[in-house]
Amino acid sequence: MALLQISEPGQSSAPHQHKLAVGIDLGTTNSLIATVRSGLAETIADENGQHLLPSVVQFLPDTLSDNENTYQTEVGHQAKTNAVNDPLNTIISVKRYMGRGLDDIAEHSVYRFIEEEGSVVPRIHTAAGNVSAVEVSAEILKKLKIQACNALGGELTGVVITVPAYFDDAQRQATKDAAKLAGLNVLRLINEPTAAAVAYGLDTGNEGIHVIYDLGGGTFDISILKLSKGIFEVLSTAGNTSLGGDDFDQVIAHWMMSEAQITDPDAALQRQVLDCARQAKENLSSQDCTSIHIELPADKNWHSELSLQQFEKMLNALVRKTLVSCRRALRDADIETSDIQDVVMVGGSTRVPLVRQMVGEFFSLEPLVNIDPDKVVAIGAARQADVLVGNKTDEDMLLLDITPLSLGLETMGGLTEKVIHRNTTIPVARAQEFTTFKDGQTAMAIHVVQGERELISDCRSLARFELRGIPPMVAGAARIRVTFQIDADGLLSVSAREETSGVESSIQVKPSFGLSDNEIETMLKDSFSHAQDDIDARKLREEQVEAKRVVEALNSALAEDAQKLLSTDEAAEIRQCIDELIQVAQGADQRAIKLKIEQVDKASAEFAQRRMDASINTALAGHSVDDIS
Amino acid sequence: MPNNQKQIPTDNYFSLLALPVSFNIDRKALNNNYHEVQKSIHPDNYANGSALERRLSVQKAAQVNDALETLKDPLKRSIYLLLLHGIELNEKDNKMDPMFLMEQMELREKLSQLESFDDPLVVLDEIIDDVNSRIKELVTELENLFQKILSDKSNSEVEKLLEQVKSQVLKMQFLNRLQEECLNREEDLANQY
Repeated sequence: MALLQISEPGQSSAPHQHKLAVGIDLGTTNSLIATVRSGLAETIADENGQHLLPSVVQFLPDTLSDNENTYQTEVGHQAKTNAVNDPLNTIISVKRYMGRGLDDIAEHSVYRFIEEEGSVVPRIHTAAGNVSAVEVSAEILKKLKIQACNALGGELTGVVITVPAYFDDAQRQATKDAAKLAGLNVLRLINEPTAAAVAYGLDTGNEGIHVIYDLGGGTFDISILKLSKGIFEVLSTAGNTSLGGDDFDQVIAHWMMSEAQITDPDAALQRQVLDCARQAKENLSSQDCTSIHIELPADKNWHSELSLQQFEKMLNALVRKTLVSCRRALRDADIETSDIQDVVMVGGSTRVPLVRQMVGEFFSLEPLVNIDPDKVVAIGAARQADVLVGNKTDEDMLLLDITPLSLGLETMGGLTEKVIHRNTTIPVARAQEFTTFKDGQTAMAIHVVQGERELISDCRSLARFELRGIPPMVAGAARIRVTFQIDADGLLSVSAREETSGVESSIQVKPSFGLSDNEIETMLKDSFSHAQDDIDARKLREEQVEAKRVVEALNSALAEDAQKLLSTDEAAEIRQCIDELIQVAQGADQRAIKLKIEQVDKASAEFAQRRMDASINTALAGHSVDDIS
Repeated sequence: MPNNQKQIPTDNYFSLLALPVSFNIDRKALNNNYHEVQKSIHPDNYANGSALERRLSVQKAAQVNDALETLKDPLKRSIYLLLLHGIELNEKDNKMDPMFLMEQMELREKLSQLESFDDPLVVLDEIIDDVNSRIKELVTELENLFQKILSDKSNSEVEKLLEQVKSQVLKMQFLNRLQEECLNREEDLANQY
């Protein structure tokens, strides 16, 4: 049988060719990129042998480029060094601002946030212009991408990026947007603690229930997972997207400012104080006492000592906050501390001795600190990327993840009605019925929210849309069925349907604080030199790749199951369709290819359904009960 | 080899996971079969498949997830078994045993006055224990009722027994909500401390 031959740049079309896939840990403080090479997962170093890339981007005054949307930037170590002298143009901990509106952004930020007309996304004012958090993150991702392409010698087929388990829909979407801007094909976003568990679990092969306590620079996550026979099942997760090592620094910084009687620091002094605070924190991981110097204007320098005891007293409340989340995660997983096999510490902030001590006491288990807390997340992501891209792996691994936050709708009186509860395994589809409130009501506003609280105002608003054209009826007679669906990527779509009339409306949820499709498209366009040509070429290439995928998938399905599941006529019809698609895909008409793919889909839908059912039957053969009453 | 030839119907959650229709669930078999099915149809296996295959596998995986969630929880399982017998719970039918309602009100009142006790957490623990033991009792009763219903289809009492199940299920819903509230209170108290 003829195989479709489409070559992508830097990528051979030979089947079973090892595809280049990477995992990216896009961290608040540092970022890493990792891959699987000959079965071994490892992080990729830059040209200087450095694995950790500081998540710091310095925006330089635009002198060379004539295009306002390509920036002159310095990313990583150099940017981190430059931060003290150029605090306003050097963006640190940008992850804290992803998917956030102006109101969410903490008041102690040194940056100048501004609102741009026609956009809900706050921009940071820099020498290179106004930039959104998504664009800043994209600069970090671009740097990592180059690092990986250089080391691996080819284009990347796909990436898995990790996010805190507790990231909401807006924050996840922002991360995906950043990847898109960086020209990366995102196979999946996975939760950081899950990635850590995958790396740790595959490493040790320990079955049982594992707790991953992940305290990073800006976020805290706790995840409870069960590993059995190659299946990672996330039982529950909890956490806080704005609690991390940065807050430890802040606590010290506050203390320093009040001791040194600094009342109105400028940005450079703030940066200096924070850097001092961070250094003090790091010193106190291995010392009982540390000394601190601040250079104040007019040579009025300040000098003091901070003891471990003082520091731990300041931290106590923050660490206790993480334990409240731990308690909740245990409760949601419906397990006791005695069921737990081990507690794995992840994230740089778990180096703080007090954290280790309090966590150990809480779980009555000595926490495991022997894995490299910085690298483990990226390595787990690389493992999952390797599986998703279809590289053959020996281990038979499946990840069953959950949705971390409840999703619901606004009902009368500003209350939330949950449709999908937190910690539900994904993918998931759930429907709930609602009715009209007034006689003759012909439209209904659907307001989708995320969060655990009862009042709408305490939850995060994700999207609003309207169902119109409901036939006039008495109040309470209409039956409006709202369906929530979360796919394997954790992304939500919502549809509403009036059952008696069949009126429908649906929305792919675009978070309220997200960049609009238009904004993304503009940014993408601006980053190409020959905008329209490139976009058309890209679309054609994407469609050809999809055609190739369809042909390969169907051919292998036919080879396996045509005899068992199809009549001769049915098989012939599908083969005919495939041949036509191969023909069309050799041309340059993107629309025609798309149409043909749809035809093939239609012709093979029944076959795919039969295969799915047959596969379940095979999976359960021998498990089935003798007598189903 | 019994049953291997049999096409397993996909029209109920029990058959989907190859389990007998029953209130008593073999948790080990449930988890095992769930894992086997997910291994065969999870979207991750179709990352390189066509859009059609990916869509189908998402739908199927969602259905299987729903089956697991329904079958592992006694309340959801009971409601589902009622549904299989053609009985849908309605928000309007909440005729409740007055005795039961009275007890519920007392428990709720105690919960709302937690702060007035010297050690609210101890009192809360008592309430939680109380609620948990009531839930356990209800589960045992449901177990007996469903055994009678499912063991003898011709039983003329089935209708009556199903009505009894319904009233127990309504009680269980009450208790579950109360349990959830207790746990929320516990979290609030822990946060304050």
